[in-house]
Amino acid sequence: MDTNNTECTYKQGSLPGCSALGLAVTPAQASSQPAYESGEALSRGTLFPGLDLPFMNIVNKMPASTTPLRELMALDFVCNELALYLDTHADDTEAFETYQSMLKLYEEGRNTYASKYGPMQRSDMAYAPNFNWLNEPWPWDYVKEG
Amino acid sequence: MFMYQKKLQYPVRIKNPNPALAKAIITQYGGPDGELGASLRYLSQRFSMPYPELKGLLTDIGTEELGHLEMIGAIVHQLTRNMTIEQIKDGGFADYFVDHTAGVYATAASGAPFNAACFAVKGDVIADLSEDMAAEQKARVTYDNILRLSDDPDVSDVIRFLREREIVHYQRFGEALRLASEKLDQKNIYAINPAFDR
Repeated sequence: MDTNNTECTYKQGSLPGCSALGLAVTPAQASSQPAYESGEALSRGTLFPGLDLPFMNIVNKMPASTTPLRELMALDFVCNELALYLDTHADDTEAFETYQSMLKLYEEGRNTYASKYGPMQRSDMAYAPNFNWLNEPWPWDYVKEG
Repeated sequence: MFMYQKKLQYPVRIKNPNPALAKAIITQYGGPDGELGASLRYLSQRFSMPYPELKGLLTDIGTEELGHLEMIGAIVHQLTRNMTIEQIKDGGFADYFVDHTAGVYATAASGAPFNAACFAVKGDVIADLSEDMAAEQKARVTYDNILRLSDDPDVSDVIRFLREREIVHYQRFGEALRLASEKLDQKNIYAINPAFDR
């Protein structure tokens, strides 16, 4: 790719030199690094500090203590964020390796979670004692802290 | 096909009912720049896309938007649970309540029901991706405006997460537009529509 600025910071991206007129051009994110740790990524709403652009500069505080469900959400969130990145950066082998290791962590985490608290997806019931898909709560139910 | 995961993408835990705020936030369920329109826009546009990275991105973002629709539904549900009739009247919620009680219905904050006219499928690569970039910006502004209106930290926490997703999606659509444009005739990128002219 022909680029006219190779020394970009993580808040910037590369632009093609001599771009065609008559089309909006977005700088391409150069790398999947730097990246937040998974819990912070979930709180921030993005894995990437370079894309973290909060309204009025107010950011979510990390909760004082986490839960098994929140940890699982964080792993799945990082997997999703990396998948979107890879959709437009399919040749980034480093990001793909990170994606694969995060997928493995999520799979392990989901299996452990499902055996303790019930299925996250129906296939988690392969070794369940009964049809525990119907266990409360459902995701939209209000559940008190803790 | 789609497979359900029995969890939200981000936790929604709202302690206090607030029908006035629910009436504003419902617009991200069924309003012109809401999550239902976003999801259906991307999941519909992908059918005519000629390049695998565009099919993949529209599938993945469209799927994530379905998860956001569920989160908005959860916010509205939790903001309208255990309401008293006094809270319904004082919160300006009576007109929604009379039609939908405390159910979650796809409508704009103005009361206009969900309308497919709010999202576009043009069947042209550059037009559709440009549409998607604008759509992410409009949703981002809607979340900015909800943050201005929200006096509940439990709600603002979730809205800040959803707002940030719009910025990430905007970046990805921008990158996708650029990848697509590199495959076109560099002397005249508008010479053909690669979604139609093979």
